[in-house]
Amino acid sequence: MKFTLSNISKALLVTGLLASLVACSDEGEDQASATIAGVTFASQAEAGASTFATNCAACHGANLEGTTLGPILSGQAFVQRWGERTPAILLGNIQANMPPGGNDSISTDDYINLVAHILSSNGVDTVVNELTASTDFTIADNISQVVARRQRAAPPSPQGITIAGTVENFVPVTDAMLENPDPADWPMHRRSYNAHSYSPLDEINTENVGNLTLEWVWNMHEGDSEPAPLVYNGIMYLINPGNVIQALDAKTGDLIWENWTGPANRQDMRNIAIYNDKIIQATTDARLVALDARTGEQVWETVVADSSKGFSNSSGPIVADGKVILGLAGCANYIPEDCYISAHDANTGELEWRFNTIAKANEPGGDTWGELADVFRAGGETWITGSYDPELKLTYWGTAQQKPWVPVSRHLTIDDVGLFTNSTVAINVDTGKLDWFFQHVPAEALDLDEVFERVLVNRGDEKLVFSLGKYGILWKNDRVSGEFKGFKETVFQNAFTNIDPVTGAVTYREDIQNAKLNEWTSACPSSTGGKDWHSMTYHEPSGTIIAPLSQTCLENAAREVALVQGGGGLAASRKFFEMPGTDGNLGKIGAYNVDTMEEVWSYQQRASFHTGTMSTGGDLVFVGDLDRRFKAFDVKNGEILWETRLGTSVQGHPISFAVDGKQYIAVTAALGGTSPRSVPAVIATEIVYPQSGNAVYVFSLPD
Amino acid sequence: MKLGHTSLSIFTALLFTLVTLLSASAQAQTETYRARLSPMPTTPQTVTTITGEGEVILTLQGNSLSVKGNFKGMNSVATMAHLHNGPPAQPGPVVHPLEVTLLPAGEITAELELSDAQVTALRKNELYIQIHSQTNPAGELRGWIFARK
Repeated sequence: MKFTLSNISKALLVTGLLASLVACSDEGEDQASATIAGVTFASQAEAGASTFATNCAACHGANLEGTTLGPILSGQAFVQRWGERTPAILLGNIQANMPPGGNDSISTDDYINLVAHILSSNGVDTVVNELTASTDFTIADNISQVVARRQRAAPPSPQGITIAGTVENFVPVTDAMLENPDPADWPMHRRSYNAHSYSPLDEINTENVGNLTLEWVWNMHEGDSEPAPLVYNGIMYLINPGNVIQALDAKTGDLIWENWTGPANRQDMRNIAIYNDKIIQATTDARLVALDARTGEQVWETVVADSSKGFSNSSGPIVADGKVILGLAGCANYIPEDCYISAHDANTGELEWRFNTIAKANEPGGDTWGELADVFRAGGETWITGSYDPELKLTYWGTAQQKPWVPVSRHLTIDDVGLFTNSTVAINVDTGKLDWFFQHVPAEALDLDEVFERVLVNRGDEKLVFSLGKYGILWKNDRVSGEFKGFKETVFQNAFTNIDPVTGAVTYREDIQNAKLNEWTSACPSSTGGKDWHSMTYHEPSGTIIAPLSQTCLENAAREVALVQGGGGLAASRKFFEMPGTDGNLGKIGAYNVDTMEEVWSYQQRASFHTGTMSTGGDLVFVGDLDRRFKAFDVKNGEILWETRLGTSVQGHPISFAVDGKQYIAVTAALGGTSPRSVPAVIATEIVYPQSGNAVYVFSLPD
Repeated sequence: MKLGHTSLSIFTALLFTLVTLLSASAQAQTETYRARLSPMPTTPQTVTTITGEGEVILTLQGNSLSVKGNFKGMNSVATMAHLHNGPPAQPGPVVHPLEVTLLPAGEITAELELSDAQVTALRKNELYIQIHSQTNPAGELRGWIFARK
């Protein structure tokens, strides 16, 4: 449904009810924390080790080292995320969210033991007395090694330039270059401001793609990775896991320089930006860093948000009109600060504006969160980079859903739509003001967000914006006004009983509307989409959007979340299963005519697709999958014209570029990738691949 | 030319035979359906204990439904199997028991007489098969029934 700010009334905060809810919650925790004689922190940690091995190790690793199914819970990554918080907050998070499938046999005492085990494993060594549900010391203060490290000046290593070199004859990147990229370049996440993921290069085409051969391969740093390389003027700028950027000769694969901006973790970042003479990088701990594109030397750095409060980045910025614009992730915590999109001066990093994605009680849209106090309004992450229309001076972003995932967990109803979550927001790049928004799925209830890329398409006089979220619905809106123009269901969905063809308003199934705590709801698609972070492509010559899709379903059960400042979370148990009617095919590529919104062709296979789709002037569309296959389809009919097999799962964003007049196709093999990885891991268990092998592969035609 | 009595009789007999054959053909017209059996909803904690796969072919003739299939790879012995009524991905009640081999792998069979409502449900993809096992009494394999392609 489309809203404008003028028709949204303001609401006042109702604190009395919330205060009583908090009081009830505290009382419950006190009861749970009754002291048992003889119990110590050490005995709790020992008991927790057993509970961890049974319920947690499958995803987080026996030694908390993390796996492709679950994040690392030890070392610097843990201290960064949890060091400034308390055991009580950690307990609340784990109780609300883990294990993902739920387990009624885990008691509150078991959860406290788990916390003790995690803290003990992370070097908490000053605690003797037993933990309770309300233990509130600062975790890092009780890790001797962390305290000692604070007293040393030396930063963790490696840091900064590790390989020195210079890009010769560098020509600064101008606004004009970004508005109309050279056909040889791929100078931003999806190549162009309109996010078409389309290269006009046509040397490689439907007639000769069968002759593609490997030109060079470069092993990347290990860790979670969903990269979108940039290529500008023959240089590839590559974001690696752990906030490492490399500059490579795009023709030969020779490394020119490398910079470890830090933190040196194994976390992923999808993209970086180039502008003027700088590579601009968002870091996983929510900083923004500019490097000299010639040498990799750091030019400026600024903090976007406080990572100790959970804020992070997983996608990098877009540079529009001289401003570095980026979103935020990690906004599920009950803290006064909310998620925002921010713009920074590209030359200095100085903050120019912020747009908050969560409406506070006294702001326009503030009355769409029921009577929830501002501190308990969470979600609205902008974890996928937006697009930009230079003529309209509008930048388009998707926002994630409210948190926790289910209305009953967030103490709201299906009528509390929670602006500006799960929407397309169009923001003026000069002012940061909201020009219009369209909320695709109000009061989202299944962890199916609509946050992904906004693809800008012109058809005649129409200026359109397309998006495709986890419900698998391709949305068409007017990008000047936000007006709903149409939709297409690309995979089976049974969450909505109706989608209004005139307004686009969705109606949830009744049992989803009224889902209670700990009540299982079965729905399709699952939280891996429909569609997820893998970008779709628009092939303008044929007027089709070709999207990488996924076909799985879930059972979802809401968990209780106390309204306690510092708490929050996602709070649902989930189970996953094959989507009925797909014959077990998790992967689907669908091509859709943007005028008729009809499916032109589709292709299905067992293995899920793990890259964006990339189309070219040679009428090809490239995509890679979990089963290590990288394929080229005929964009007009879906026929597979070429495929090869890489070292591990093919994941990231394929690109095409040219050097000295010769066209290349590049793609990354990578691990990690959040739910699109973890859901197939429990459904298509027969698909195995090496647990290492992050790399970029570059293909070309033989000379 | 006019038809004589003999010719008319032969024509009438041929016409009767043709109508009878067409009618019999219509009565014998069968609809074939298929269910792919795959693990019930699972998690990283249960993925090694909810296992297996299978395929069931169902033939509908009038209201008679013949069920024949096989399964393998379950985590423990099958204990029972049922035909359920529920839209795709939405579990619903049991409508008929099915014969199942009481082993981790085996066959699943039944000759059923469906009600008209159940035939309608079949054609709307609103029936599914579920096999229960010793270690997964709530169900280990499940598959919705669709017209066979």
